[in-house]
This record gives sequence, structure tokens and C-alpha cells, in this order.
Amino acid sequence: MSTVRKFRAPNRLSMLVRANGGVMAKDALAAADAALEPLRAESLAVLDAALAEIEARFGRPAAATRASAAYQDLYTLALRIIDVSGFLPGSCVDQAAVSFCALVDNCAEAGAWRWDAVDVHINALRLLRTTDLSPDQRRAVIDGLNKVSQRRIGDA
Amino acid sequence: MREPLQAATRINLEKVDVLLVDDSLPSLNLMAQVLLGFGIKNLTRAESAKAAQAMLRERTFDLVISATNMAGVDGYELVKWQRRGALEANRYLPVILVSGHTPPSQVFKGRDAGANFTIAKPIAPKIVLERILWAAKEDRQFIECDSYLGPDRRFKNDGPPPGAKGRRREDPPEALRPPGASVPAEADDEKVRS
Repeated sequence: MSTVRKFRAPNRLSMLVRANGGVMAKDALAAADAALEPLRAESLAVLDAALAEIEARFGRPAAATRASAAYQDLYTLALRIIDVSGFLPGSCVDQAAVSFCALVDNCAEAGAWRWDAVDVHINALRLLRTTDLSPDQRRAVIDGLNKVSQRRIGDA
Repeated sequence: MREPLQAATRINLEKVDVLLVDDSLPSLNLMAQVLLGFGIKNLTRAESAKAAQAMLRERTFDLVISATNMAGVDGYELVKWQRRGALEANRYLPVILVSGHTPPSQVFKGRDAGANFTIAKPIAPKIVLERILWAAKEDRQFIECDSYLGPDRRFKNDGPPPGAKGRRREDPPEALRPPGASVPAEADDEKVRS
């Protein structure tokens, strides 16, 4: 049986944040939002570049070559979209990319691509990024994607 | 009890030494901007877990914020290493992990890594600040055993899982547990049968 030790660890952070001075949380948040703003254009360019690369390497145009693609490469590209999608609040692009990651993870686990589901996710990401949809329509897209990505090979 | 962030809460992060780890440059830049906006002056960036390990061996920090999804050594492995292999003064630092997606196969790895909190990407400044405050007010004890070193993974003591006696001295007897905290397996069986 292993020995368990319980103890209180020193927490320097605790002492530092209580030091005199500082700012109110609302001001810290406003300053953070302002600091993020200069990265907006660059981040959206990263998002669009990731989506374009996904289409080029894993979309229908790559139908002849994509079977040999690495699961990790597509997973990393979908993660890159999640990283910068905070600049598109309410668009559901982040949730579509999370569903894409779940799909790729399922494919990797099964050892087989599901190209129909990959194509659906690429189309949905493009739609959510470029089309003016209502919140309900976006929600419906995400609900559909989640059903697709959670379906495993062999499911009816 | 962890409280939601209040607009009027005062916070001073000027002297907090933060190590920020992410191998995605866009993500690293975004989080760095958020932290600078919060007033953090001492921010060190590491573009890989390996680079972070080298820094955690050399100098002390007050807080580590790391991505989970990284090539090579990931964020979970970094925290697990930090708890036992970093400079003594860095072993018990608050750690906040930031995750874009957690595959089901990684859920237990995440639970057992020893981080204080995990937050989801895309990052929202409000959540980041709130978790930093929670980490500063952390009141959980550290647990050290063969398989785990980190903050107590129980956020509240509702007792052991349903049907289990519990392994800790402070586990409350079944009769004293909060309503709904644990329902004995037999009671479930009876409900199904009736």
C-alpha cells in the first residue's frame, strides 16, 4: 500500500496579488481586450490560412492524395482554428473546430478516415466563417456536426 | 467555494513571475497580450515543454500557464514532471492548463497530471483572470503518493462514490453526506425494481 502525504504548499502568488496598488478586475479586463485588438487581423488571417490548408490537403480537391495524410496534421490544423477563433464570438467556428478535433481523434482511434464527415466539417467551417447566419441556424449546424463527429465507424 | 470574478475585485499582478508555455505561436501571442493587459510585467514565454523544463530547472516562477496540446512533451507531462523534477521552489506552483480539445483517451491523464485548473480555448480574458484569482486563493492541500502529486482533486467533500466506504479518515459516514451526494447501489436497485 502506498503512503499518502497531505500538506499545505507555499503559494507566493497568493501573497503577491494582495499587494497594495494593482487595478480593479473590470479595468484589467478592459486593458486585456485593448491589448488583444492589434492581433485581430493577424489572428483571423491565421484562421483563414488554416482553413485553406485543411481544404487543400484534406478536402475534396485532395481526394486522390488525402488517404495517406496524417491524422495528427489535421488535428493540429483544427486546433489552430480553435486557438484564434475567440475573435469570432457567437460564430460557433470554435465549436465546429472542436467537433472536427473529436472526429479526427475518432478516426485515428479507428485507424480509418471518414471522408464524408471530414467534408461536412470543412463545408460547415466555411459556412460559419463566411455566411450571415442566425444564432439558431449556427446552433443547428453545430448540433449536426456533433452528431457526425461522435458517430463511430460501425455505428448504424 | 470559488467565487465568480467581481468587477470591483482589486488585483495586483505586477510582481508575479509567470511562465507561459505554448507551441502554437498565435496562441502564445494571444495569451501573452491578455496577461500583459492584466498588468503582468514579468512574463517568460516558452515555445515548447522542453524549453519550459529548462527554465523551471533554472529559476523560480510564481505561476505556470501551459497549453495541453503540444508536440513532443505535452502540457500534462510537463506538469507531472514539474511536480517532481523542477527546482524545489517551482514544484508546488499553481498551474493553469489551457486546452483546445481533450480527447477521451487523455481525460485521465489530465486528471492525474497535477494541475490546479484547466480552461478551454479559445481563451476568454475573464475566465483567465478568474482562474488566476482562484489559483491565488487556492485552499486545497497537496496530495503526494506514488501515482500523483498535486492539489487535492476533490473540489468538495461530498464523500466517496456511491456504494463505497471511502479511504480517507475525513470521509463522512453515509448518513451525514449531503443529499444526492451518494446513493447506495442497493437503493438504485430497489428504485428500478419498484
